[in-house]
Amino acid sequence: MKLQEYTESKYNFEECMKCTVCTAYCPVLQVNPLYPGPKQAGPDGERLRLKDPYFFNYALKYCMNCKRCEVACPSGVNVADLIQAARIKYDQSKPKLRDTLLASTDFMGSFARPFAPIVNGVTSLGITKSAMDAMLKIDHQRVFPKYSGRSFEGWLKRREKEQAVFQEQVAYFHGCYVNYNYPQLGKDLVKVLNALGIGVQLLEKEKCCGIAMITNGMSAQATKHARHNVAVLRKAVVDKGLRVLTTSSSCTLTLREEYPNLLGVDNADVKDSLLMATRFIFEKLEKGATLKFKTGFHKKIAYHVPCHMEKMGWGVFSEKLLRMIPGVEFTLLDSACCGIAGTYGFKKENYAASQAIGAALFDQIRTVNPDVVACDCETCKWQIEMSTGYSVMNPISILAEAIE
Amino acid sequence: MKHNTVIIGGGLAGLVAGISLQQAGQETAIVSTGQNALHFFSGTFESLQEAPERMNTLFNEAGIRLQYSPGVRLMPLGTFRESALSLEDIGLFTTPKFARKVLIVNFMGYHDFFSSFLAEGLEKQGMQCRIRFLNLPEMDKLEQSPSEMRSVQIARTMDRIWEKVVQEVRVLLKDEDAVVLPQVFGLQDTAVPGRIRQGIPARVVFAGTLPPSVPGIRTQMLLKRRYEVLGGTYLMGDEALSSHVHEGVVHSIVTKNLDNHYLEADNFILATGGFFSKGLRSNPFEITEPVFGLDVVYDADRNAWYDKAFAADQPYMHYGVKTDESLHGIADGKPFKNLYAIGSILGGTRPELGSGAGLAIKSAFAAVDEILRRPAPQDDKGIRQDAKDASLVD
Amino acid sequence: MNPNEFDVIIIGGGITGAGTQRDCAMRGLRTLLVERSDIATGATGRNHGLLHSGARYAVNDAESARECIEENMILRRIAAHCIDETDGLFITLPEDDLGYQQTFVEACQSAGINAEIIDPELARRLEPSVNPELIGAVKVPDGSVDPFRLCAANMLDAKLHGGQVRLYTEVTGFIREGDTVKGIHTRSRQTGEEVDYYAPVIVNAGGIWGHQIAEMAGVHVGMYPAKGALLIFAHRVNNVVINRCRKPSNADILVPGDTVCIIGTTSTRIPFEECNNVAVTPDEVTLLITEGAKLAPSLSSTRILRAYAGVRPLVSADNDPTGRNISRGIVCLDHEERDGLKGFVTITGGKLMTYRLMAEMATDTVCRKLGVDKSCETATTPLPGSEERSYEAVAQKIWEAPSTAQKAAAARMGTSALRIRGNNPYDDALICECEEVSVGEINSAIDRLEVSTLTDLRRRTRIGMGTCQGEFCACRAASLLAKAHGCVEKERADLANFLNERWKGNFPIGWGDTLREAEYTQWVYKHVLGL
Repeated sequence: MKLQEYTESKYNFEECMKCTVCTAYCPVLQVNPLYPGPKQAGPDGERLRLKDPYFFNYALKYCMNCKRCEVACPSGVNVADLIQAARIKYDQSKPKLRDTLLASTDFMGSFARPFAPIVNGVTSLGITKSAMDAMLKIDHQRVFPKYSGRSFEGWLKRREKEQAVFQEQVAYFHGCYVNYNYPQLGKDLVKVLNALGIGVQLLEKEKCCGIAMITNGMSAQATKHARHNVAVLRKAVVDKGLRVLTTSSSCTLTLREEYPNLLGVDNADVKDSLLMATRFIFEKLEKGATLKFKTGFHKKIAYHVPCHMEKMGWGVFSEKLLRMIPGVEFTLLDSACCGIAGTYGFKKENYAASQAIGAALFDQIRTVNPDVVACDCETCKWQIEMSTGYSVMNPISILAEAIE
Repeated sequence: MKHNTVIIGGGLAGLVAGISLQQAGQETAIVSTGQNALHFFSGTFESLQEAPERMNTLFNEAGIRLQYSPGVRLMPLGTFRESALSLEDIGLFTTPKFARKVLIVNFMGYHDFFSSFLAEGLEKQGMQCRIRFLNLPEMDKLEQSPSEMRSVQIARTMDRIWEKVVQEVRVLLKDEDAVVLPQVFGLQDTAVPGRIRQGIPARVVFAGTLPPSVPGIRTQMLLKRRYEVLGGTYLMGDEALSSHVHEGVVHSIVTKNLDNHYLEADNFILATGGFFSKGLRSNPFEITEPVFGLDVVYDADRNAWYDKAFAADQPYMHYGVKTDESLHGIADGKPFKNLYAIGSILGGTRPELGSGAGLAIKSAFAAVDEILRRPAPQDDKGIRQDAKDASLVD
Repeated sequence: MNPNEFDVIIIGGGITGAGTQRDCAMRGLRTLLVERSDIATGATGRNHGLLHSGARYAVNDAESARECIEENMILRRIAAHCIDETDGLFITLPEDDLGYQQTFVEACQSAGINAEIIDPELARRLEPSVNPELIGAVKVPDGSVDPFRLCAANMLDAKLHGGQVRLYTEVTGFIREGDTVKGIHTRSRQTGEEVDYYAPVIVNAGGIWGHQIAEMAGVHVGMYPAKGALLIFAHRVNNVVINRCRKPSNADILVPGDTVCIIGTTSTRIPFEECNNVAVTPDEVTLLITEGAKLAPSLSSTRILRAYAGVRPLVSADNDPTGRNISRGIVCLDHEERDGLKGFVTITGGKLMTYRLMAEMATDTVCRKLGVDKSCETATTPLPGSEERSYEAVAQKIWEAPSTAQKAAAARMGTSALRIRGNNPYDDALICECEEVSVGEINSAIDRLEVSTLTDLRRRTRIGMGTCQGEFCACRAASLLAKAHGCVEKERADLANFLNERWKGNFPIGWGDTLREAEYTQWVYKHVLGL
């Protein structure tokens, strides 16, 4: 390379032109004056942190990691990564018990599932919520997701033989939500893929993607999960030549981008084979595959692109897929953050900000008044259902409902 | 994914082209690396002496009202600049002396609005000025954060409490016949500037602030919304990396987010802007156009890129890609059959089309007309080339 | 007492002049400092910012080396808030002679410099950006110093001891009575006002311009302007100073300073006429990047912020007209003894590092001539702001839970940051976001530190020293200055001048992100703001 032929810097922070466009689009800054904004927290702050870690600003914990700053940046600076990386490197505060509990979805899930009816009952009681509010600072207004009595993994394992019959095979990274809370989504995916002549396999004991651990100061655990998951993905992708599909936008972003960018876990040999199911199915249909749709199917759908989906740029696939369904009256909701940001919105100190951030989205949903809101992210689903009362379905579930 | 036309660059030029093509019945997609230069839009369309009918219609249908009034506009630092065409809320005057006495109102602690420079500039033109500061309790939250008093944040609050501002200004107003306010009104609600004008019994002039520009963001949002309402696909936050080209015909482009899901189209428009938006790349030895490798018109001697005086006209700001009369991009001296270049990526290579906003709009319309005139590109045998034969151009 | 009469007048507001005024004022003299521009605009403001351990001179100039290390240790105590105690490395690359290392270390030890040979592996851990191919490393007590802060602190202390300062005031001639210098004629560059000042002793601390000042007084001091070019990189690549362990040559020091790092330098003789207008040439730029990349390879792909050049005031020894016998050492000339001219002293040569010693020598001479018997206390009295060594402790004391901007203010102002702890939340607003400089900090500088222009303010507070090079903060600060000085017209011109000055340092490295930033700045100021 000739001298200065190109320049590079961590997360491209040197390419920042200080245009402040990122700050104009940060949802947190609009509601929380304690947050310095992405430009200050990211490229500005980085130069000071390089001089002395003392200059690290603990207010960076208010960053939701929604990546909207990156989507807005005209210079291609990975502002959100820069901020999260700084938190991982410099934030010396230990995660509170609450944060550990909220982030340990595998642990909580496998613990709660056998006692699902009891757990579900208890977590919806006012007294439990008040106790969690007082002791753990989990806001009492937040509605907890229900746990399912049976895991998705169990369900699919029981159907291993019938799935193996299909000519074409894919693996499915189901994630915590499908496994512990809502196996129906996984079943919907299997239905659609089977209808396309594709069989579905489990990965060899996947773990939680770790996204909540990254943002809650548990990066060492997250890295363990990352290494484990990449090894498991390799078994499917490299050894078996399979593509791996997902239905959760945040899990997908974490597996594809956060593993190498924030945790230093290389996934180059598996990344390109890791796809959201909507993209995979859209590409199949575009190339000539067909699905038999029910006659008389009608649904008014408002599609909310989750922040992480917007960052990956794959909202277009879910959108186009939904538009392909006959009988669908489709509205694309304005690009906005729902405010929950995973475990962020459960915390008492963030609850108000969380609801204020999502307010514009909730208003638009009420104005559009759809039959259902479509969304690829489970935490968005919890937030929208709780805050508007409208039902939220993953595009895959809508597709499953629309086909014979 | 297949579209009729794929537009690379979602700024003013790209959006105008996209909207026009969608209206003509095409299916288009716009790829944009983040938000664009409209965020620093001053609100005046330079180098446009009048609004082409077409432009007026397009903007009006998007909910943007323009005004044509040759004269001068008040700049944020108190100077006056000749302008003719601008957004409706920008004040254009026939002469700089637009009032006898002026009340300049700013928000306490807002440093991006230069009330003292404005006052000095207006006084030079023979107007008497008084500066007053507003201190509204609703802005307390903004003042807490050291860096939050910026135009967009204030504008969001103003959309809710502009009536309070009107009340306060009415109280402050004495015998002035004009009021100058910072341009932080009407971010989401486009009617607000008009209502403020109605509510204050004096001539209301909105003067600009440091970027981001509220009218600029509003314009961008409205144009983007119009584009999407017409059915266009706006891929925000994605970056065009390279293309598949065969014998002068572009078959598809590769983007960062869509990786091996190529964007195919019959026609492509390059509207990636200048250096700031990375439409042109530079290093100590050369200036290049990164997506298609178009020929760039620039001085080989790097020392000639600059004028040593900051205020002087800078040669590098006129560098741009080569095109033929129909705005087809040219690489290695040969024009592409289905690739057009519009907007500031043209630099000063097409002086007849003007500069800045004028260049963006005129070149966008010209390229759109070209595309609508010609059917999809074919080779000599009249058959569409298969993408497999195409070679990757980095 | 005539207000224009002083015990001593010091010509030159660089570090030498400011340091001399401080010393004189502390010894009870009534002092006046005149400077034709702002403080630290000569070599003081255009050097490497290196707090030498002296190791670089140990082999060839033991006396200089010894002076350096002694002053190094003194400055750490008295100028704590101006200094970053980074340590330094002298690395041997495969193409260098490893044998030189031994010679080097021995020379350091005998000069009193604690030079320690360390394993290259340890060096790589100490400084991850260092060229991994190094085959030898020596650790030395190098550091970095902010010369603007240092100069301002000296000036401030002089003022606190009763000294007066006239910046933007040019000496237009000397008032002589026979063989005695009695005073100076001056003209204000801002107002054109002409004023005469009188003193029994006048000190010429004009750096390379001391040559002309001496001529004006009627004596000849042979000087040799040697230009040095440097590059500032956009962020702090290294945290330890990196030097080449070989005979001193071009571009072999990479110094970390605040939020940036600086590679330098070169040495080219230039004619006196060029001293007011030094520029960095493309060849110099190439040389600096090439050699710099040998110290830290990442420099070849790191954004460059600006290029600048300064002029060293080298003195020909014994008025050698050929200029061959050049001394880098301190030169203190009592013109009464040397030339028969009473009341005139020149203090020149030396380095930024040894300014305090130079000031002490000059002040000793002044006191001797005035018959004042007071000893120098500058080596033991901390400068204002430097009473507390750790900025962390400073920030903690002033604000219990300081924000990043407040931490940055503590790092820049030292204990003086106490002045900006206010009840007015508006003062916390940031004017310069790149470097996190608040309204309070700027107002404090305008109040105490003789600020006339934006460039002055930049030197005092670091506004405009970040990657945007004043894109936003310049006009915000211009508003504050306009309010403080009550003159908008002047401020508009000042703003244009400030941007022009920034541009001078940007276009020699105007490619890549620097060119993008420049295009954006042009757009904002010309099209959006209407400058």
